[in-house]
Formats: sequence, C-alpha cells, structure tokens
Amino acid sequence: MLTRIVADRVYDYSHVVGGRQITGMLTLTLGQDDDVFVLLRRPQNSNITKITIGQTPGDEEILTQFGTRGAGGGEFMWPAGVAVDSDENVYVTDEWLHRVSVFDKDGAFLRMFGGPGSGPGQFNRPSGIAIDDNDDLYVSDTLNHRVQKLDKFGNPSIAFGQRGDGDGELNAPWGLTVDSCGCVYVADHKNHRIQKFDADGEFVFRLGELGDGEMQFDHPTDVAVDPEGDIYVCDWVNNRVQAYDADANYITTFSGDAQELSKWQHEYVLSNPDVYKARRRVYSLEPEWRFALPMAVKFDPVKSRLLVVDPQRWRIQIYNKLDNYDDPQFNI
Amino acid sequence: MSSDLAMIAHLMRRAGFGASREELERRLAVGYEETVEDLLHPEWQEPVDIYEFLRYHHLQWKPGTLGGIGQVSWVWRMINTNAPLQEKMCLFWHQIFATGVSKVDHYDEITDMIDMFREKGMGKYRDLLLAVAKNPAMLFWLDNNENHATAVNENWGRELLELFSMGVSNYTEDDVRECSRAFTGWTMTPKLPRFHMGRWDWYFEYREDDHDHGDKTFLGETGDFNGEDIIDIILKQPATARFVARHLYNFFVADEVQVPAWPVTPPGDPESVDFLANALMETDYDIRAVLRMLFNSDFFKAAQFRKVKNPTEVVISTLRMAGDAELPTPDIYAWANHITYMGQELLNPPSVEGWHSGVEWINSGALMKRTNFVADMVNETDRPGIRRLIERAQAESTTPEALVDACLDLMGPLQFNESTRAELVAHAVQNGVCGGNGKSNAESAREIAELLQLIVSTREYMFA
Repeated sequence: MLTRIVADRVYDYSHVVGGRQITGMLTLTLGQDDDVFVLLRRPQNSNITKITIGQTPGDEEILTQFGTRGAGGGEFMWPAGVAVDSDENVYVTDEWLHRVSVFDKDGAFLRMFGGPGSGPGQFNRPSGIAIDDNDDLYVSDTLNHRVQKLDKFGNPSIAFGQRGDGDGELNAPWGLTVDSCGCVYVADHKNHRIQKFDADGEFVFRLGELGDGEMQFDHPTDVAVDPEGDIYVCDWVNNRVQAYDADANYITTFSGDAQELSKWQHEYVLSNPDVYKARRRVYSLEPEWRFALPMAVKFDPVKSRLLVVDPQRWRIQIYNKLDNYDDPQFNI
Repeated sequence: MSSDLAMIAHLMRRAGFGASREELERRLAVGYEETVEDLLHPEWQEPVDIYEFLRYHHLQWKPGTLGGIGQVSWVWRMINTNAPLQEKMCLFWHQIFATGVSKVDHYDEITDMIDMFREKGMGKYRDLLLAVAKNPAMLFWLDNNENHATAVNENWGRELLELFSMGVSNYTEDDVRECSRAFTGWTMTPKLPRFHMGRWDWYFEYREDDHDHGDKTFLGETGDFNGEDIIDIILKQPATARFVARHLYNFFVADEVQVPAWPVTPPGDPESVDFLANALMETDYDIRAVLRMLFNSDFFKAAQFRKVKNPTEVVISTLRMAGDAELPTPDIYAWANHITYMGQELLNPPSVEGWHSGVEWINSGALMKRTNFVADMVNETDRPGIRRLIERAQAESTTPEALVDACLDLMGPLQFNESTRAELVAHAVQNGVCGGNGKSNAESAREIAELLQLIVSTREYMFA
C-alpha cells in the first residue's frame, strides 16, 4: 500500500530520487529547503554530492560535488557520516582517517579535527554524526564504543558509553540523531538495538533485540526522530525501516514502495532499448519497489517527510507524514 | 622440533590456511584426531559476520564486474574464518565446478555458488551435484538455459560427465546427448537488468514445457529420465568415485598430473586413491566422512611438503600468520589482487577446467609475486603475528645457527634441505644475526625479519 493509516498517523509514499549518479551512496543529511548532502563512498572516489530533491518526481538536480580520495585536507578515505550546522557548514566523519572534516555549504574545505586514539577528542573509526540546535556535535566513536559530544571546532565536552551490552553500554554505535529536547538516539549496531540518552549522556531507554519481528532488529544502522517523537529505525539486514512512538511502542514497518522509477532511472531505461526490454520480460517488478540493505533514515521536520537511503538501489525513497489527510469513502 | 607439532602444522596447512605457533600449540594439546574432528565441524565455530565486512565495503553486496574485485568478501572470510576447512572446501569445489565472471558477468551469482559450497561442501556429493545443476551461475556458464527440448545444447551435459563426475573415457558421445536431453528445461528466471538500480538475483526454474520427456538410454539404463535420475545413475559408477577421489587426493594430499592427463596417466599413489574411492562408495559419497578418513590416514601424514601452495594459500596463510588483518581495511583489494597476480583470479578461473595446479603455479613472474608478497609481509614487524614470531626467535636462540633453526621451526616447522639451511646460517653468521647479541631490540628484530624474508624466498617455502 502506498498510503498507510496506522495508530492515528498517515504515511503516504511520495517518490524516489536516485540513479547511477549517486552510486556508492551511504548516507545523507538535510540541507536548507529541498537540498540534501549525499555521502558517496566508493573504492576509488568518494565525495559529498549536494542535490536538490524537490517536492515531486522530476525536481531533482545535482548542485555540486566536493571532496576526493586522499588523506590531505578536504579529502576522504572512508567517509562515513555527514551533518550540517546552522550555517550550513558540512561535517564529514572519516572512519579510516579517524577524523572529522568541515566544509562550507559550497564545498570549500574549512578545517579538520580528531585523529586516531581513545582520548577525548580522538576517534577510532568514527561514523555517525548529528548536530543539535546549539551546533554541538555528537559523533559515534564506533570502535571506542562511545558517543562523543564536541563543539564545532572539535573540542570535546562529554562522552558516554563503553563496550558492552548493558543499559547505556554500546557495541559499535553507528547512526545517531538528536531530538528537539536534546536527547540522543543511537543505533547500537552490534547490539541490534536503539538506545536513548538525555543531553547529559544519561541512559533513558533501549529498544529492540536481535531478530526479524516487531521490536527486533538485525544490525541497525541509523535512527531518526520526528517532531512528534516518533522513532524511525533503519533495520539494515532486515531490509526495512520500523517506526515506533516516543514510548517505544511499535507503529509500522516500511519495506520500500518505489513502484515508479526515479527521473534518472527512467531516463536511463528509456535510452537503452535492451534494458527497457529486459525489464519488461521479468515475471514481476515488485523486487524493484523494496529496500535492499537500507543504510540511513532521516526525517525532514520542515516538510514532514521521511527519507530512506536505499544505497544498493542508488536511491532515496521518500514518505510524507500527513496531518491533513481525508480518507476516501471505502465503497468508492 | 616436535614431530607431533609438525604433523598438526601439516594438517592445518592442508585442511586450512596454516596456523600461528600459538594455535598449533593449542591444537597439539587437544590432539591430532580431535583437531581433525574440529575442522570437520564448522557448525561448532562462531561464524564470520559478513555484515562486519559489508559495513565498511557496502558496494561489495552485489559488486560490479568492471573492477575485477568482486572476490574481496570471500578473501576476507578466508582470512577471518574460525572454520578454515569449510573455506578450503569452497576453494576445492570452486576449482572443480569452475565458474567464472568472465562469462557470467555477475560476481554475486558466483559468490552465491561459493555460499552453496560453504553450506553443502562437506555433505553428500549427490546434494552438492544437484545444487550445482540448479545453480544459475552454472546454468548460464554452461549454457543450459539454451538447452531446449527441441534444440539440445550439450555443454552442461558434457562437462557434468567429463569434469564434474566421471572423467573422459568412461562414457560415450551418445551418453552425453542423452544426459543433456534429461536436463532440458533446467533454466533460470529472467533477471532484472543491472544498469538502472543495481544487480538482482537469478533463480532456478524448471520449465516442464521445455523438457524432453522421451525415453533416454544413459550408461546402459533406459527411461524417461530427468536430471536427478541422471545424477543418481552417475553416482552408481565406480568411475565417479575414482574421479572425485583423485581430486581429493590432488587437492589435499599430493600434486597429481593435470586433470586432462588423468585418462592416460594413472595416479601417483593408486592405492590411496582407491582407498578414497571405496570410502566414497561405502559412505554414499559422504564427503565429511571421507575427509575424516583422508586426514587420519597414513598416506596423508606421510605427504608433508608434497604440494605446491596455490596462490590463495600463499596470501591467506601469510595474512593469518601476520595478523592485524581482521578488521576490514582498504588493503583487502590489494590482497585479493595479489592472489590474481600469482595466477589464481578467484571467481574467474581460466576455463571450466579450473586452474592447473602443482608446479604449474610456478613461473618466473608468479614466483616473484609470491616471494615479494610474503617477504613484504614478514617485514612488517609491527604486525602482531610477526612480532610474536620475532620475540620467540629472539628468546630461543643465542647463536646464528640456533636462530636459523628457531625461525625454520616457528615458520612451520619447515623442512629445509641442508644446503639451503647452510646458506641461511652463513648469512646469519656473516651478519652476526642472533637473538642475544647485545644489539638493540629494534635492530635485532630488523635482522630477524631479514632472515625471515630469506626463508620465504626459498624453493622449500613454496611447498605446503
């Protein structure tokens, strides 16, 4: 179903953005208006690609790209996470170089900080990154099994978590987000759960365990929270995104609904007759609709929409969360 | 050197990818037969978490073919597995059911076949052969999707008999034709094209409407045979058991002549091959049971250093010995490429016949690649395995002769002829290399690493 009404919420599948232009996509962050910064990680050339995704199918355009492979300033080896501050400066973690690189919104390199280690302000394969309303950074310091809070120049303030599977302990944390109250939600990747911490890093609750049912995850990679407090978990190996309310009650599961091709995909298929024909001879196109190892999930509070990064299919699937939906009569 | 330890080391080289001295000592304490049993039961081990790899190399889920690098996830598995015989069996079956990306053009389909070998490679040969017959990569590789009731394609049927079961001279051209007819309609579903949003899976499909339901006469039996019936008839033939047995002997015990020469060149050790063939027949082709007999046999134990290491063994055993290769890194691409440079491009064998092995692994270029790779790795003295090896060598030797013997022991134990050993000793004496010579620890470590580099450059080191 493209429109689902569940637990007094309405989620309406919108459209898909993607194509060969964004192969290697791993995650993204929201910019201003309809802009997103997409992190492309490829063995030979990684970069940040700024795209406007628009409101409707066909609006998407690539605006700019920056960063390249290397270990110097403004270069990446293994970029892993991306976030934007209130000035639209772009922060990129690099889990091979153990650092955070900062660019302005047009891609000019500004600075970098971090470095390998386990001391304050040092990292061991940092991955997820989120920025709160005060422009403070939260970084998943993945192989130090902690989250570090830093200012935007890399000065550390607090760190929370240590390796383990108890409450407040972490095992290879990955994606994370900060809600409007300053609480931090962490994809506790190898513990197969989400953990919520308050702004001081104190444990609030945990959600999930290993499995493929409700309240279960398999290697979750990312988490998002909307203004109502609903939680979206990118359940990587289960090929789905699960939604929970603010009290961690299950709401629904998204498995992917891209029944129509994106603009770029459509253009490619139409311009290649053999691809066009091969696509028409398959028994079902339904596999095209579904997520394949989705890796990131973001909620755009301004547009009230959920963006799911579906990297193996080189695309972003977009769902609107509606608050003014009128259900048509059932016997129409 | 302990002969028991040397025997465990021999087992681990053949049934795995070598082992550190510390692991050998642990296994020695457990016992040889118990180690065999441990190797035969991969389900006793913690499996490799492939998502640990994909977390860093996400494009390797269904990688493209242009880069020629789709084998890295398997290479990472082999480096990290706790069940090395399971991966060795994948390599064994990949060598026999040789299927290549050069034609299939989808690494993930061939990786799926390797996954199938991982699951069934130590089970019953019938189950494996049937799974191979239904594997989409194999179906495409040998054109069985072009094998129709009204237009027979003999490619799969011929190779099933020639390379996968009996070997030439044990069947007729009529048998090839009838075998192929039985596999008409065995095909795969159409695949979504790869170009607009990545790659998709193929699935086996049996098309009743495209199957030849006429009577076939195959190896003296007549009936409306389908593919499964053909496999059952094949498995009744002693030639099949002898053929599989010779492959097992060639891969695990001692190098044989190349497969095309088998019809005209008898096995080097016919009694052992017969022993394995009988074991296959008596156990209904239970590969695990036959491997148990093989590894516990006297002929296996007597076959130390009678095989040239294949390139995969060279690279994987070196990385497992050196250590610090467990976490995914960008280096995995280079490591996989080294296997290719040495002459074994995994997932892309040169033909359906697989790779020629034994001394044919060695030519001047491949030898240089082998030597340089291993020599470079043992020179990385910060790697934990190399560091431990050097520390033990330092502790166990106070003279150049003792140091050479300690290194040969710790690297294997290795069996070197006296003239090679004498050359190594001469080098050590000339340079004053020994463990307790008053030099700084770093200087001593560098000198020992240099000695290790000489050891891995020898002819003897190329043998497993």
